[in-house]
Amino acid sequence: MEPKLTTRNLCKFFRKGDLSVEVLRDINVDIYPGEFVSIVGASGCGKTTFLRLVDGLIAPSNGTVSIDGEIVDKPGKKISFVFQQDGLFPWRTVISNAAIGPEIAGQPASHARNIGHEFLRLVGLSGFDHHYPHELSGGMRQRVNIARALSAGADVMLMDEPFAALDAQTREIMQSELLRIWQETKKTVLLVTHQIDEAVYLSDRVLIFTVRPGRLKQEVCIDLPRPRELSIKRTPDFVHYTDIIWRAIEEEVRESIGREARSVASLHS
Amino acid sequence: MATGNDNSPSRQRLHSFWLTFWPSVLRWCVSFAIAIALWELCARVFVANNLFLTPLSAIAVRAMELASTGELQDHVYVSFVEFASGFILSIVVGILLGVVLAEFPLIRGLVDPWVSMLYATPIIALGPLFILWLGIGIVSKIAIVFLVAVFPILINTVSGLTTTDRTLIEVAQSFGASAKQIYTKVRMPAAIPFIIAGLRLSVARALVGVVVAELFGARAGLGFLILNSAQSFDTAGVFVGVIILAIAGVVSVELLKWIEFKLAPWRNQESEE
Repeated sequence: MEPKLTTRNLCKFFRKGDLSVEVLRDINVDIYPGEFVSIVGASGCGKTTFLRLVDGLIAPSNGTVSIDGEIVDKPGKKISFVFQQDGLFPWRTVISNAAIGPEIAGQPASHARNIGHEFLRLVGLSGFDHHYPHELSGGMRQRVNIARALSAGADVMLMDEPFAALDAQTREIMQSELLRIWQETKKTVLLVTHQIDEAVYLSDRVLIFTVRPGRLKQEVCIDLPRPRELSIKRTPDFVHYTDIIWRAIEEEVRESIGREARSVASLHS
Repeated sequence: MATGNDNSPSRQRLHSFWLTFWPSVLRWCVSFAIAIALWELCARVFVANNLFLTPLSAIAVRAMELASTGELQDHVYVSFVEFASGFILSIVVGILLGVVLAEFPLIRGLVDPWVSMLYATPIIALGPLFILWLGIGIVSKIAIVFLVAVFPILINTVSGLTTTDRTLIEVAQSFGASAKQIYTKVRMPAAIPFIIAGLRLSVARALVGVVVAELFGARAGLGFLILNSAQSFDTAGVFVGVIILAIAGVVSVELLKWIEFKLAPWRNQESEE
């Protein structure tokens, strides 16, 4: 099977004055159609930068991103991005937010709304069409955000810690909802998270990044049966996977914390 | 679905608008009634001299006199025309110029120092000069109103258009929005609350502008009425002018609140005091 999404030798530097900071080094990843892949790593490992490169929001310093064999050089119709902050337009009602993808693509307003409706129903938010985002809870806003990304009609969804701002219970529910939506829509999903249990629960594969410069450290295939219930999180197999990933990530996190401590110390000396 | 309609959020919003609106109307009425009573009491009992404080009843009588000859209507009309023309002109110019400055940082860099300087200058002090240049008629007043009112609108339009939330712009970009779409679908709507805040600042400045400009020299208008009455020791006449101006101030502020409610309904929660 041909990969849906491929990155080859993907590198990214950021300039900070005269300093050049290497954020990502030689990332080679293949993601297949319909796959659910998560990226975990210590904070500052370039996970978010990686997603932004894949979306085409920023340009790589070196290497390529391609989708269906075509090089990505700007945001396009094939990929949609679910941002961490829900990024809903406060002046648009729920339906109008959900319909913005087709609207920007130049679809007639009524058609765009129909698409919006369809995906609002899919995420379980029928009947809130004319509410404004500030009238919704965090979980509901994130549902609108997902419906908005889905309604753009892309095959690939990039999700940047979509549930990080939610409370623990809401997050669990949203995880199982996301699985249901993924199974119904058969999208290819690339999700960034710092929650190991979230990555294991959702994914077919988990990619572990090293601390800066971010490299691919290890890849763990999650061989748990689907469909998965939330109760799977309490099975020995599940715990086994989280353990493997946690051990791989632990030294990276320690390294990252050590670095932060050193830079704070140097600031105070 | 039928139950959904009864509870439609737009109706709920309207409902909550009235719920917050009515108590404030009541508060206003009660507080007015007390003020009127106190005023009447003070003017009749404590300050017997009508030159210093005229009873409200005497002011009402004076207003009737002025209205019966049509004089009052003339003053109100002239001031209204000056205020409305100057204010509308400042809205049009302020927003258009703001759009241009937001779009071209180079021009903004050149114009910015002048804008901040003129905004900080009490332009009203230039009133006598404007009357010298443009005559004693309404043109000089419109110019003054325009100049005092245009800067808050201009400055807020520029900052509204240039401080759009990065995430919202990136969301639009990730959907493949063109530069034009980002402008019309993200930056413009995001700027509306800023522009309305600018209008609120300007409307108060414009009202002061009209009156003070007329004090410097005019043939008609509420400022002229106030000045003329004061010079002929007609304290009641002064109060007639002042009270009408106060009413105009309240009405224009409420009108702007209503416009904000219509133009930016998503802001209702934040703007409730």
